[in-house]
Amino acid sequence: MPLSFLKRAESPFERISHETIAMLGDARHSFDLASAVLLAGADASAIGADIRATDERINATEQRLRSELVVHVSVRGGEDIGLVLGYTLLLKKIERIGDQAKNILDLAEEGISLAGADDVADFNARRQEISQMYVEAADVLATGDAERAAAFLARTREMNADCERRLHGYMQSDEPGHWAVPRAILHRYWKRIVANLAGIVTSAIEPIQSLDYLDAGRTDIDD
Amino acid sequence: MSQATPTGVPRWLRSIIVLALIYLFLVGVSSLESGIKVMGADTQERLFSSVSNPIAGLFVGLLGTVLVQSSSASTSVIVGLVASGALGFDQAVPMIMGANLGTTVTNTLVSLGHVRQSNEFRRALAAATVHDFFNLMAVAVLLPVELITGRLSWLATQTADLLVGSGGSEWKSPVKAWVKHPVGWLKDGLGGLGLADNGLGIAMVAVGLCVVIAALIAITKNMKTLIAARLERSMNRVLARGGGVVAILVGVMVTIAVQSSSITTSILIPMSAAGVISLRNAYPVTLGANVGTTITALLAALASSGSDALTIALVHTWFNVIGIAMLFGIPFLRPLPIRAAETLASIAVQRRSVAFGWTLSVFIIIPLLGIAVFR
Repeated sequence: MPLSFLKRAESPFERISHETIAMLGDARHSFDLASAVLLAGADASAIGADIRATDERINATEQRLRSELVVHVSVRGGEDIGLVLGYTLLLKKIERIGDQAKNILDLAEEGISLAGADDVADFNARRQEISQMYVEAADVLATGDAERAAAFLARTREMNADCERRLHGYMQSDEPGHWAVPRAILHRYWKRIVANLAGIVTSAIEPIQSLDYLDAGRTDIDD
Repeated sequence: MSQATPTGVPRWLRSIIVLALIYLFLVGVSSLESGIKVMGADTQERLFSSVSNPIAGLFVGLLGTVLVQSSSASTSVIVGLVASGALGFDQAVPMIMGANLGTTVTNTLVSLGHVRQSNEFRRALAAATVHDFFNLMAVAVLLPVELITGRLSWLATQTADLLVGSGGSEWKSPVKAWVKHPVGWLKDGLGGLGLADNGLGIAMVAVGLCVVIAALIAITKNMKTLIAARLERSMNRVLARGGGVVAILVGVMVTIAVQSSSITTSILIPMSAAGVISLRNAYPVTLGANVGTTITALLAALASSGSDALTIALVHTWFNVIGIAMLFGIPFLRPLPIRAAETLASIAVQRRSVAFGWTLSVFIIIPLLGIAVFR
């Protein structure tokens, strides 16, 4: 194994970038499974184990990559400090959206099910749109395409404004709590996931000091 | 996220620069040896009579290494001196051990940079001083054994005989012939300035010293850039696999590549301070660095005359290998340097002056007193 020192090494940031994209894939997997439990009535006990195992994998990868970033700074000094800090934030965001998929599962494990509800088709459409956003965020991360990133960020703003509007609607609804509260909480989780996906894409195009802030620093987009 | 900006010099060009620097380093060692030979026998005796006491020799090796911050440089100089015949083989052995001790000052100084954060400082100082304690313990055992029995020298002599035959001083290094002409030009050039005898010798030694140190600094800097990605991957493997023999081998490989144990051990300090690598996993990497750094003296021996130069370089290698076999290989001895380093770090966190006192006394005051008393 020490003789592998003699082999040519892949650039550390290329590898870390590949692994962060794989983490996003894992986070999307958890999101789709948790949504299937809540919106389609899939078996929570069977799927919960998969979601928790995926979450542990995401956490372990985050910890390992953070260690590797410290090693990078130790070896190369401060020459890549912007990238190192950017990746540290990025990894934390991916870890968070992994946790937020678990939050959706928690909702289902509380005994909530929206399968068969009148508005489930609307929820499924939104779920599919958010799931697709994971793929788009990974693409922007891989390519660093500023135009696609800008288009993506515009969609996340629209999506979150809509989630916010619906959230207020449920909070002020005359419907009973067991109807309104799960919907309000689900929209809150979606809003947080989309905000973190926006943060991930922002990290691909923005300098470190302005990550997570829009409107010249007045608004924190991290949720 | 945009990738790191690559440095301007292409890899192939940097590799050629490193080869040229290695050649320059060998010229420096050879110039040093030639300069000493030009001096009269009386001058040589006056210069090195102060290190006839082994304890004084140990401290001279230590202090000399602290001054140039590189055991690679100081051991290469010792090899050159032995090759010239000015420094006796027996006098050189304690100096080599002292050089091994002195090289640990660099990472100890790096650890002092973390002094404002208690937890970071504790971990950083322990990771640095575990190297100090290992070397101190190795010298405490192996120097008396060598002085009484001469077994380390015997082992190095046997190894040198195996490598170059038992012809002793008849051995002619092929590398010596490659560097002969530049050294001759230097000698002629300095002679043309009107220098002769001791003056010429001193000038050649001074140029040789400067070339050796400058070439080593430049080799280290270029090699660190060339192998940075490999170095990172190796350190990540140590983190993934833990300590032990693998970590020792990684320490050896990395240090051979960068030609500096200080680089390898100093990289460990911020990693230890951040808590990314544990003391138990960092410790074997420093041991590997101790062995890896001996390659430079072996390289210097290639540019020197006679088998004594190679033998003293091999003493350096065997000293470290036996030290590891003893202090790391024997299970009940293995935790001793670690415990000592942890204890010192715990005390130093309470009283920061202890850390500064340790560094000053081990690397400056005690060697100076030792030289004054034992010369």
